[in-house]
Amino acid sequence: MIIGAIILVVLILLGISIYNSLIAKKNQVNNAFSAIDVMLKKRFDLLPNLIETVKQYMQYEEGVLTKIVELRSRSTSPNISNEEKLEIDKQLSSAVKGLMINIENYPDLKANQNFLNLQSTWTESEEQIAASRRAYNSSVTDYNNAIMMFPGSIFAGMMNYQQITVLANTEEERKNISAKELFNN
Amino acid sequence: MTSSITDDASRRQILTELEALRKEIYGLKIKNYTILGIGVLIFILGIVFDVLIPVILSGIAIVIYGFVMISKAGPREIQYRHSYKYALVTHALKTIDESLQIDSTQALSEQTFISSRLFSKTPDRYHSEDQVYGVAGKTKFSFSEVHAEYKTVTQTKNGQRVDWHDILKGIVFSADFNKNFNGTTMVRPKDFSAVFGAWISTALPIFSSGEVVKLENPDFDKNFVTYSDDQVEARYILTSSMMERICELNNRSKETISLSFTGNLVFIAFPLSGNYFEPPFSKSLMDEALLQKDIELVQFMYAIITELDLNTRIWGKN
Repeated sequence: MIIGAIILVVLILLGISIYNSLIAKKNQVNNAFSAIDVMLKKRFDLLPNLIETVKQYMQYEEGVLTKIVELRSRSTSPNISNEEKLEIDKQLSSAVKGLMINIENYPDLKANQNFLNLQSTWTESEEQIAASRRAYNSSVTDYNNAIMMFPGSIFAGMMNYQQITVLANTEEERKNISAKELFNN
Repeated sequence: MTSSITDDASRRQILTELEALRKEIYGLKIKNYTILGIGVLIFILGIVFDVLIPVILSGIAIVIYGFVMISKAGPREIQYRHSYKYALVTHALKTIDESLQIDSTQALSEQTFISSRLFSKTPDRYHSEDQVYGVAGKTKFSFSEVHAEYKTVTQTKNGQRVDWHDILKGIVFSADFNKNFNGTTMVRPKDFSAVFGAWISTALPIFSSGEVVKLENPDFDKNFVTYSDDQVEARYILTSSMMERICELNNRSKETISLSFTGNLVFIAFPLSGNYFEPPFSKSLMDEALLQKDIELVQFMYAIITELDLNTRIWGKN
């Protein structure tokens, strides 16, 4: 009788522990995505300044600038999903990269201190986003392992926890980002 | 590098003067220790053979005389050490980079050693000397010899026994890091205690000094355990290429290195058994391989800046 009660108490404690651990891992995933979100916001906030500085010099890049403005306004619209945010960021990265590549044609802009600061901050934000994506992926792997392995899988089924897909790294992030490559081509 | 040590006229002059001083000190040392040895021998023989008290007393007098002579030779020895480091070693350092300096009075302070958080243990006995510093490209760096130990006290039948254990005997290198960061990230060798510590940290975070950071590089993960108070910042510092570079640096070191990133600096601890930048007493200074070991160490430390790519400051830190 006593042994049965002890086993029951141990099982209940084990159950609580697994349940709490799954919730903690799920929260960790959300938390890790918030870190990406913060970094993305920081980056999107750089855009008005960047556009303002650039458009005085780059009269011939109207198309790219319009695209960046449009992407930036999409990023601030309410009810935007996480996937959409990441997709906008990807498109923005590529658009800004395209813009930066043409910098050689605008020597005045190349000498502008404000622009140079924005360049550095933009590149820094690339690195920070890459780091926060890696942190997110690490949390997702932890969470996926927990819900797929026994006995966590039983609880995950009851709690309706689903597997989450890790973020694929873009080609730019796989290699070491170099300002030289980005800006001085 | 050291083959040219006698080529340069000024260096040859320094060498000649120092070699004369070395011979003088070495001669004095032999003489003084011989006197001391004779005194001890007379004293012991006097006791063993129970001879006259004056013989024993004369033994004691000779020992005292020996000690006085050794202490009198002390300032000459200090002068020799000083000249060796400031003239000869400095001269050799300049052949690597003009900015390099050695200061035997400067060292890595115990406070900096502790606050670097390279090791989890706090030293009970600490000694550091011979700081070499300079600038490689845009990066300021320095390194010092460090011997940090902790003690364990065990109860025995006869009372307490104190044992001393090394936390680090080797070199601590520090340099300006090429990125700005706010927290602390520690990369420690993956030995049993680190693995146990990492398990504790994951299972019972309340007992840990920082969270374990799981990184994606298998080679890096095989050698190191990483802790940080900021998961994102740790990955911002330890990019894929930085992890590869640390692995390469580690492969060049006999024992696993430890790293920490704090206060916008990177600290690297290299366990090494040698004592560096010390002048020889019994060997001639004219030896071609005289400074070889020291120069190789400095070249190794200097190359870290390039190996870790610390001069590439593209992230707004100039």
